[in-house]
Amino acid sequence: MFFRALRHFEFFEPKTVAEANELLLSYGHQASVMAGGLSLIQTMKTGEKKPEAVISLQKIDSLKFIDSDNDQDLKIGALATIRSIEKSREVQKHWAVLVQTARCIGSVEVRRMGTVVGNLCDGTPASDLATILIAMGAKMRVTSSGAEREVPLENFCVGPHQTVLEEGEMVREVRVPSLGDHSFASYVNLARTKPDITKVSVGVLVKNQNGACGDVRIAVGAVAPVIVRVRKAEELLRGEKLKASTIEEAARLAQEDVVVRPITDIRSNAGYRKEMVRVLVERALTDVVDKMNGAHAH
Amino acid sequence: MRRIVCTFVVNGVTRELLVETNALLSEVLQDDLGLKGVHVGCGTGDCGACTVLVDGLPVLSCSTLAVTVRGKEITTVEGMANGTKLHPLQESFIEHGALQCGYCTPGMLLASKRLLEINPSPSRQDIKDALAGHLCRCTGYNKIVDAVMAAAEGEE
Ligand SMILES: Cc1cc2nc3c(=O)[nH]c(=O)nc-3n(C[C@H](O)[C@H](O)[C@H](O)COP(=O)(O)OP(=O)(O)OC[C@H]3O[C@@H](n4cnc5c(N)ncnc54)[C@H](O)[C@@H]3O)c2cc1C
Ligand code: FES
Ligand code: FES
Repeated sequence: MFFRALRHFEFFEPKTVAEANELLLSYGHQASVMAGGLSLIQTMKTGEKKPEAVISLQKIDSLKFIDSDNDQDLKIGALATIRSIEKSREVQKHWAVLVQTARCIGSVEVRRMGTVVGNLCDGTPASDLATILIAMGAKMRVTSSGAEREVPLENFCVGPHQTVLEEGEMVREVRVPSLGDHSFASYVNLARTKPDITKVSVGVLVKNQNGACGDVRIAVGAVAPVIVRVRKAEELLRGEKLKASTIEEAARLAQEDVVVRPITDIRSNAGYRKEMVRVLVERALTDVVDKMNGAHAH
Repeated sequence: MRRIVCTFVVNGVTRELLVETNALLSEVLQDDLGLKGVHVGCGTGDCGACTVLVDGLPVLSCSTLAVTVRGKEITTVEGMANGTKLHPLQESFIEHGALQCGYCTPGMLLASKRLLEINPSPSRQDIKDALAGHLCRCTGYNKIVDAVMAAAEGEE
């Protein structure tokens, strides 16, 4: 017998979502879902998770998809890897900001093994993908035996690595609304090196309404137990023209928002992170303005 | 299930093993198959030292359950040389001093092998992108990029 880093567990490879749901129900909170396994295996190594049963989704072919019709929601199945998003022609064309965000994540190996949905279900407030997807209004499709519900990604996490998923539930896909011709998105982050975990990140979505800012969402990552929206800044922008002075004021409001309460850790201190919220919100909004002007020029 | 009979094609040879479901790919390769070229640095997915090729694609063996890659072709650094003849990348690494302690080298070589298969004449930036997440504490990376560039040029 050799030493093994992981404790023993029952291992299942269901072939359909229905089978997976049944297994999840019978094992309840003793079960862990495995997609790529990157995060799950780490938490099992540290003992944070000690599942009696690991239910792998890898054999469920119906979860391996990216449906990207520009007029409709982008649908990303639970087994679509981060790499597959990065490589998809359609995503490159119509959701370029997601490709750019995917490239901020880890190494090629991490992106090839890790799934988009697994990244979101892992529930870290430093997730690059979750930050931009919350700004874009993404929704999680959750299935359980005989039932299905939709949860806005914004409400999906209730704490670090804690989600609203209940016993027997799993995520089948994440849906991202189409940007259409009038919405513009931007993602900016700060990290020590490109593959390293984000210190602060900002995702922005702005709907262009006759040259002014229509609907707007600003999500900030890695500054609180969950990714937060800075609503005071959003309110200020709604209906306004995105002039430099307006953007500056919105960025200041974002920094001062009570939801922004970063911690000090090995990567940065709280004061710096807070200061950077302002800088990144300004950069992201400026980038959106550039994109709007670029689209207008065509 | 706690144990599964698995078949792997490891460096071209078909191997049948009884594998515990909790065994990592790195553990099976190192312990059950004696392939000590599989180096585990961090065990957390951060360093890339444990990289092996699964059906030709670089994968982190420290973060993979062995049973999930049954039926697949696995290449470790031991499978790069042809008998006593080293792979051109290995020759190039030696020539350019692209290794010192050698701990990161198997991962660097296998990820570079894949890169040259899909992109036979990479730019320095292409090489850096493909090797991001492969940490080397000794060489300062430049010599590794030089070695991969030279191997690519040699192949043309
Ligand atoms: C070295 C390294 C660097 C990284 N860098 C970054 C980075 O810069 N930015 C970033 O955002 N992320 C980063 N990550 C995180 C990485 O993106 C995730 O680990 C990965 O995407 C998780 O996907 P997975 O398929 O492996 O999930 P798994 O490990 O399989 O699952 C993760 C968690 O989600 C649950 N889960 C998975 N799928 C489902 C489902 N369909 N329904 C319900 N629950 C589910 C699992 O039970 C588990 O708790 C990094 C990871 C590593 C190892
Ligand atoms: S040992 Fe696997 S990535 Fe470091
Ligand atoms: S040669 Fe020592 S870590 Fe790279």
